Amino acid sequence: MGTGNSRHKLAALAACALSGSLLAGTALAAGPAASAASASAASQETTLRVKMSGSGVDTLNPFLAFFDGAYDVFAAIYPTLNSLDETGKPGPYLADSWTQSDDKLTWTFKIRDGLKWSDGTPLTAEDAAWTLNLITTDAVAGTANGSLVSNFESVTAPDATTLVIKTKEPQANVTYVSVPRSGIPIVPKHIWESQAEHLKDYKNDTFPVVGYGPWTLTDYKPEQYAKFDANKDFILGKPGFDHMVQQSFKSVDAAVAALRSGQLDYINGVNPTQFKALQADKSLLTIQEVGNGWTGLEINYNARTRTGKKIGTGHPALGDPVLRHAIALATDRQTLVNKVRDGLAVVGAGYLPPAWPQWVWKPAPGEETPFDLDQANKILDDAGYTKGGDGVRVDPKSGKPLELRLGIHSDDTDDAGISNYLKGWLETIGVKLKIQTLSMSALNSDLAKGDWDLLMDGWTTGPDPTFLLGIQTCAALPKDDGTAGNTDSFFCDKDYDELFKKQLTTFDLDERAKTVGEMQSILYKADVNQMHFNANHLDVVRTDTVTGVIIGQPDAQGMYPAQSYAFWGYLKATPATAKVTAAKEESGGSALWIGGAVLLVVLVGGGIALKRRSGADDRE
Amino acid sequence: MSSLTAAGLAKAKGQGVKRSDLLPYLGSKLAAALVSFMVTLVIGFVLFSLMPADPVRTLTRGRPTSEAQLVQIRLQLGLDDPIWQRFLTFVGNTLKGELGYSWQFQQSVSSLVLDRLGPTLLLTGTATVLSIALGLWLGIRSGWRHGSLFDRIASGTSLMLWSVPTFWLGMILLVAFSVGIGPIPSLLPAGGMSDPSLPQEGWAHVVDVAKHLVLPSLTMVLVVFAQYVTVMRTSIIDEMGSPYLLTARAKGLTDDAVRRRHAVPNALLPSVTMIFMHLGILVSGAITVESVYSWPGLGYLTYEALRIPDLPLLQGTFIVFSASVIIMNLLADVVYRFLDPRVRAQ
Repeated sequence: MGTGNSRHKLAALAACALSGSLLAGTALAAGPAASAASASAASQETTLRVKMSGSGVDTLNPFLAFFDGAYDVFAAIYPTLNSLDETGKPGPYLADSWTQSDDKLTWTFKIRDGLKWSDGTPLTAEDAAWTLNLITTDAVAGTANGSLVSNFESVTAPDATTLVIKTKEPQANVTYVSVPRSGIPIVPKHIWESQAEHLKDYKNDTFPVVGYGPWTLTDYKPEQYAKFDANKDFILGKPGFDHMVQQSFKSVDAAVAALRSGQLDYINGVNPTQFKALQADKSLLTIQEVGNGWTGLEINYNARTRTGKKIGTGHPALGDPVLRHAIALATDRQTLVNKVRDGLAVVGAGYLPPAWPQWVWKPAPGEETPFDLDQANKILDDAGYTKGGDGVRVDPKSGKPLELRLGIHSDDTDDAGISNYLKGWLETIGVKLKIQTLSMSALNSDLAKGDWDLLMDGWTTGPDPTFLLGIQTCAALPKDDGTAGNTDSFFCDKDYDELFKKQLTTFDLDERAKTVGEMQSILYKADVNQMHFNANHLDVVRTDTVTGVIIGQPDAQGMYPAQSYAFWGYLKATPATAKVTAAKEESGGSALWIGGAVLLVVLVGGGIALKRRSGADDRE
Repeated sequence: MSSLTAAGLAKAKGQGVKRSDLLPYLGSKLAAALVSFMVTLVIGFVLFSLMPADPVRTLTRGRPTSEAQLVQIRLQLGLDDPIWQRFLTFVGNTLKGELGYSWQFQQSVSSLVLDRLGPTLLLTGTATVLSIALGLWLGIRSGWRHGSLFDRIASGTSLMLWSVPTFWLGMILLVAFSVGIGPIPSLLPAGGMSDPSLPQEGWAHVVDVAKHLVLPSLTMVLVVFAQYVTVMRTSIIDEMGSPYLLTARAKGLTDDAVRRRHAVPNALLPSVTMIFMHLGILVSGAITVESVYSWPGLGYLTYEALRIPDLPLLQGTFIVFSASVIIMNLLADVVYRFLDPRVRAQ
């Protein structure tokens, strides 16, 4: 008997063990959509649930943060002097107007009166002056944003509604210095003043965080979520939701699953495969934004220091414009767009991305570099690059075969796709590629030392192009000892540098854009930074839970303005009326299936138990 | 009398030898563990310092940074210090119990590790316990009736799941149970450790975390439990021809009792080794599972450290992981001594 009992216990245990996880899961699962719906129905309060930026939050201290996720949070909870419109042009925010002096060295911002921080303390020009001064004068405070104020001579607040910024040299982009996400957030002086001495150790994690913006940060858990309450008195408009949650997803696939199952309302940034798959889902709106970045090929332009000292191990032939142009001719950008991005990108040409139309430049008709393998072969033949027995050409000056290293990012599928196409195309013109898959950090290390030939690269930029243009100047080259410098390709051109200085001090937007266009023309003709494409930014929204999160109207090609600065989208989003009904229906369906699953488990478990019992009896 | 006295002395002496044996045994194991730890410290520092990397450039990639900023950041991070100085600082800090300051998260490594230790242990601990229970049970049954239908199904299924890439299995389970397929609705959350819109305390939170735990732990169990099945099954089969089992049967014990009381205890030792090995790597988390399900664990933290690379964070997690393995190995040695008389006899 005893044996029989133990058998029965074991059999029951077996059934439980085999189905334990499933049982636990189904028993516990009330269904994610159901829980969200009940919470919203019970309290009648609405929550906008979005995916946190992929890079996440490194720190909540705005003086030290570098990651995009942190700047998304800062844009929500801290004010800036200016806002940005759909096309990236500065508009009013804390400042409702601004003027320049005749000598262009003094900017006067009129700060709105009557604003208050979330703890009730008045928000004045003094807060802005203190923040900007601290970054200007304190090295630690300038860790993240020091470059934006490096030309500031002084910042003062003569009264509560006047902010005066004096610059050392005329500076055209002062209205971009403090804008949501890409600029400097203004912090409350009365909170931060006591932290200034030990800024490096201040985590800014006392909730709710005192700030002023469309939202107030009420909770944050690293790698999990950030929770916000709406600021119903926000000067630029009342948020359409009562709360907002930015949830961290380490894999976009998981975020897509969360969106499809109703746990998220909006994802800013999916890949082409996910985008195309989601287009069939009628409960989702899939939209393409014009891209705010580029993907392209960097060519090691004879790496050297500022004094001209040669460094690194780059192939010497890459200094020859003929070889660089041949590589450009041998690159079929349209095929890369079609095959690598599934058609969801714009063929690249100009250095600045289409998200900011004021800076867009395209080569004049007849100046475009076509895909022409014959022409590429011809110019190489003409320049004396003869093919060896193995089909690889030889540099006539150094005698070295054209065997080039191509560094690609190990975590970037676009790089992997592009490199395979490039390898084939370049082989047909007698250039052999050796693909090196490296981490971003290793690529950066090689880049700085000049230990590379070709690199896949990509940049995104905010609406002010100064930094991105700056990394192509001679001043970005490293010093002789290898330190400093943030060059991207060791490009150095005197005409380009002159234009760079000129655009910095050109206050007329059209005139500045013209100068920036000339700079892009120089880069295009140099073939050092070869733009492959500007990937469209791909977003997905649940239409049954949220509306209005996408800002602007699509153009003739169906492309929306850049949404990556989600400041306006999160502010203007409102709950869709169908939400509660849909969620209730889904909840009912879930309950039904949970019941079915539990029943199935019980039946299977019981069956196993009976089978074991019968087997035990037979053996006994 | 004299013989009794001699016997008594011998007995006393024998017991004394046993007691005094334990301390040198423990001492030698402890010393070896300390040496291992020091060696891993050096290896960890050297390995990570040799990595080709430009952490400042990678860290600042997303922001406009001037030359002055880059210099300042290098200074703050101590990257311009000579390597011997960095090594001495690293060793000194470690011996003081400090794990340094993360370059990317701008806070102490120990606080980052502590923040993620709970979620890591919850996930890997749950998965390990379930894997051990399921794996050993199936292994014992399969081995005892090897060649049977049960054995073939259990062994085949477990080995097949062991061969499946964790990431792939995770995605499949995610789609099946979180998104739903066909008539199957969404049953479980897609990721994270809790639903941010619910209260983060009380029983509701516990239930919510349990819901979020199901899919990641199930994924880990399905991939890992085959190891226990295989080892336990093989051990049982090895024991099956032993004469002591024949003796036990001759005494009239039931098949079940022979298996439980005689075969299993003797077959358990290899599994004990494996259990302790797994306990040692519990804290290192599971990068792939944590990535698929956005679980805030130590495995993903290490991956994030590697991307920059954030050397203090990498070294800190390396120390924690190494120490954990070393401590568990030490414990395994001690437990072995109690479980296996042959170890005591050596």
